[in-house]
Amino acid sequence: MSKKLPHDQIVKIKLGDSQLRQNLTVAMHTLQKNRLNVINAKFKNWQGLRDKAKKAKNNALMSLSDRLIEFEKNATANGIKVHWASSATDACEIIYELMRQNNIKKILKGKSMASEEIGLNHYLANKGLNAIETDLGELIIQLNDEAPVHIVVPAIHKNRNEIGKIFQEKLGADLENEPEKLNQIARKHLRDQFEGLEMGLSGVNFAMSKEGAFWLIENEGNGRMCTTAPQIHVALCGIEKVMESFEDAATMVHLLTPSATGQFIPTYNNIITAPRNEELDGPKEVHLILFDHHRSDMLAHHDYYEALRCIRCGACMNFCPVYDKIGGHSYQTIYPGPIGEVISPNIFGMEATGDILTFCSLCGRCSEVCPVRIPLADLIRKLRANKVGQGKNSPLSTQNGHKNRGEAFAMKQFANVATNGALWRFSLSKAHLFNKALHKFQNSIPVIKNWSKYKELPQIKKDLYKELENMEGVRYE
Amino acid sequence: MRKVYFFATCLGSAAMQDSVLNAIKLLRREGVEVIFKKNQTCCSQPSFNSGYFNESKTVAMHNINLFDEDIPIVVPSGSCAGMMGHDYLQLFEESPEFDKVQRFAARVYDLSQYLDEILQVNYEDKGEKIKVAWHSNCHALRVAKSVEASKNLIRKFANVELLELEHEEECCGFGGTFAVKESDISNAMALAKIDDIKKTGVSYLISGDGGCLLNISGTMKRNGVDIKCLHLYDFLIKRLEGAPL
Repeated sequence: MSKKLPHDQIVKIKLGDSQLRQNLTVAMHTLQKNRLNVINAKFKNWQGLRDKAKKAKNNALMSLSDRLIEFEKNATANGIKVHWASSATDACEIIYELMRQNNIKKILKGKSMASEEIGLNHYLANKGLNAIETDLGELIIQLNDEAPVHIVVPAIHKNRNEIGKIFQEKLGADLENEPEKLNQIARKHLRDQFEGLEMGLSGVNFAMSKEGAFWLIENEGNGRMCTTAPQIHVALCGIEKVMESFEDAATMVHLLTPSATGQFIPTYNNIITAPRNEELDGPKEVHLILFDHHRSDMLAHHDYYEALRCIRCGACMNFCPVYDKIGGHSYQTIYPGPIGEVISPNIFGMEATGDILTFCSLCGRCSEVCPVRIPLADLIRKLRANKVGQGKNSPLSTQNGHKNRGEAFAMKQFANVATNGALWRFSLSKAHLFNKALHKFQNSIPVIKNWSKYKELPQIKKDLYKELENMEGVRYE
Repeated sequence: MRKVYFFATCLGSAAMQDSVLNAIKLLRREGVEVIFKKNQTCCSQPSFNSGYFNESKTVAMHNINLFDEDIPIVVPSGSCAGMMGHDYLQLFEESPEFDKVQRFAARVYDLSQYLDEILQVNYEDKGEKIKVAWHSNCHALRVAKSVEASKNLIRKFANVELLELEHEEECCGFGGTFAVKESDISNAMALAKIDDIKKTGVSYLISGDGGCLLNISGTMKRNGVDIKCLHLYDFLIKRLEGAPL
């Protein structure tokens, strides 16, 4: 990813990009409507399903070490090679080693946020190796040298005219803007890439410990090409993706596509149990990398373990009133939106990503739509407490973050006045006297000036307390 | 006779005094005795939402100790009612005072819920036929869950047609300290909300939250949008008295 810009600067750039704003607003409102329509049309008890999913995920998380050991045992018996990675670099190295041993220079990837999280493309590029995206959205942003703007629909900020231009510039295609023609261009490009493919990479939606198998969902079929066409398939799986049974995973899949895109079911459900056996096709080797990357730290946390239930549906960002104004790139971390605000400080550290905690008005809509009932808004507030030094068990590098001394002082003053009735009354009963001064100096008083930049200040009226003292039927005491 | 505590909220005491007085009038016209504790202050949302939990606890406990009699605490803001009735529990979730906080929280009502659900008021409309739009405050909607009660109060007026916004459940960009910490984003959110309001063609916007109203009306004024924003309780009193809006 490119160098991080100052927080205020990136916000200004993205808010000023009217094309981006328009594309996102239209797309997010469409996704919102699709979700609501499918829930109303197809589900009798959506809220009950959310409860069931929360319980199933919590059960898996509370017994995660058993689940992981059981998964390794059963997957190994099925012929899958299981690898363990603690850090992001460990996971990259395992993939690099597999490529080196097999003398492979190029891999094709199905959509995987996990691979973005560990920085795989960048790592391999530094070794002179190629990782090529096959998911249409990922392909578009890879050609345009951008990070995903959204975890499910990575190029949702681009409209078809912009995509046509990218294909013309980067693939030498004719300039098109019809979806069918754009698809043809991408299809031809990818078919050429798939020819002679030796190694494919995928993420994992759910892994099932009892069955030793894993489940992938997708819409385009390119992900399935990556897992079936090559000789070697490598799957990248965060440890929190492991659940106990096929039934548990099925509960999740029922929630996932309606929440993500408003689809009742995905186009493809791929359940992988083993490498090629007696068959004539399929990969000869299947490797699965279980990686931690601070997930076990989150699991040990009283509050933040809840974010490990996330099934990466993106509903929280689809419904976030801040996300659709600034887009995913403003967060300058792999995971944007409300879930990103919770997991990015836990995975990448507070110092690197803690600035995004202000991208939230605490409206609570994310918590309301989250299919696995992660209390996202509450967790964002708790992370703010960590950031100002008042939270429990702070995530990574919190102590290195820059505390806002001015704000901390103001909050202490606030508490002093708000616990002293007489002082409080004195301040407020005199407030109207400052009307003139307040309006005159509104552009230079800190805090007030941030308001008056865009909004008129109210006129402060009479002394409330005097009125109350004389009101009939009111005991002023 | 029914007796309640009234919690004016900080914004009510500082900038929306008329709305506070009208809210009390609505209780008085139902014959409810109102106790106004003069030492009341703020529910502590500004510090709570910024992560200053220690300061928030101190302020919350000041209020909890002040409203000590076992009678309802009525709040003319869904946001503050949500804070005192629900978020206080989270704030004190592992503290020895939890039971005390829980007993306090159970007595907190948003005023519209108290009027609609407990008192089951009847209102006679003395105003002309008008169309109004409603703005839902996020915490009233999702924490205090008082929006239906607020709308029910408006629906009691025969001459008032209540129009729904297409994106009613989307935040207006106030969010307390959010509005000043991320003022550029807040403005973009307020402008999107105003576009949505304008689409209904109404001349009046009603909301049960002072913060949202200051945000929306302040932005409308700055951008020359001629829609009058009214606090729910000002609106109710004016319709009951037949006064111009």
